[in-house]
Amino acid sequence: MLTLMLSLVSCDSGPSLQKYFVEKSNSKDFLAFDLGTSIIKSDKLNLSPKETKALDAVKKLNILIFKNGNENSQLYTAEAKNVKGLLKTGGYEELMRFGSGKSGGSISMLGENDDIDEFVVYLHQNGDSFGVIRVLGDDMTPGDVFTVVQLIQKSGLDIAQLQPALDAMNINNKEG
Amino acid sequence: MKKLIITFVLVLMPTLFFAQSMFDKFEDEDEIVSILVNKKMFELMSEVKADSGDESTKQLFSLIKRLDNLKVFTTENAKFKAEMKKTVDAYLKKYPLEELMRISEGGQTIKIYVKTGATSSEVKELLMFINGGDGDDTVLMSLTGTFDLKEISFLTDYMKIPGGDKLKKASGKK
Repeated sequence: MLTLMLSLVSCDSGPSLQKYFVEKSNSKDFLAFDLGTSIIKSDKLNLSPKETKALDAVKKLNILIFKNGNENSQLYTAEAKNVKGLLKTGGYEELMRFGSGKSGGSISMLGENDDIDEFVVYLHQNGDSFGVIRVLGDDMTPGDVFTVVQLIQKSGLDIAQLQPALDAMNINNKEG
Repeated sequence: MKKLIITFVLVLMPTLFFAQSMFDKFEDEDEIVSILVNKKMFELMSEVKADSGDESTKQLFSLIKRLDNLKVFTTENAKFKAEMKKTVDAYLKKYPLEELMRISEGGQTIKIYVKTGATSSEVKELLMFINGGDGDDTVLMSLTGTFDLKEISFLTDYMKIPGGDKLKKASGKK
C-alpha cells in the first residue's frame, strides 16, 4: 500500500503539461521556445525594484503555439482539448477564464498561494490557433506573477487577448 | 434512514453549490463574451501585499477576500439577448432574490437583485441584468460571496465591470 502511494507521488507517472510541451516542440504544427527572464531584464525597459524582484523569482517561460488549425480544424480541436485536459489532471487551479467561443483563454496556477511553482496562461484565437505560456519560478508570490505577465506584454511578446486578463490584474498594480 | 439522508443531501447539493451553473451554457458561444473569476483568484488577489496602506486599498483587499465567484456575460446579439433574459427569469423563479433596484434609462433597463445573508445588510449573491434594447449590450453579472452592498462600488471601480456605475447608485439606496 505504501509502495503504491509512493509511486503515485513520483513525478513521472502519466502525461503532464510539461511532457506535452516537450513532445510538441518537435511537431511541425507547433512553435515552441523558452524565454529566460534575462531577455526581458536586459532590454531598454527600466525595471522597478518590484519588477526586478518578480523576475528573480521567475526561472523561465515555456511557450508553445499551435498554428495550423485553419488547415486542420480537427487537429486544433483535439489539441486544444488535450491542453485543457492536462490542466485539469495536472492539479492546476484555474484562476479565471475569459473570452467567447471564438477567442479567449484562461489563467491557472500550480503550487501554494505564497509559493507558486507554475502559472499557465492559455489563449485561443479565431477557432484555429492557441498558445500556452508556462511561467516557472521559485517562491513566486501572486504579485510576482501579475508583474511578470504585465512585463511580458510590455516587452512586446504580443499574444493577443491578454488584455482582459491584464485589466483584471491591474487591480493590484494600479500605482505602477 | 442513513440512505434517506444521503439522498436528500445529494439532491440539495446542486441547489446549494451550483446555482450559478444555469449561466454556464453562455460560456462557449461565439456571440457572448464572458469573464469568470474563481475564488482562488480572489484569494490570490487579496494576498498581494498592499504597499500603500491607505484606507480604500485596505477595504478593497478585505472585500476581495470574501468573494467567491464572479461571472459576467455580455452580448450584442439579439437572439442571445433574448435567451439571457429568459434564463435570468427562470433563475429568479428558481432562486428567489430580492429586487433591489430597477432603472430604465435611454432604452436600457437595469435590474439588480440580491440575496441577503445573516443580516439584511449582508449580501450573499448579487445579480445584475442590463437589458440593452437596440444597439446596446445586454449584460448579465453574478457575484457571490459575503459582502455589504456599500462595498460593491470599490470592486466595480477597479474592475471596470460594465454597468458598474449602476451598482454604485444601487448601493447608495439600501
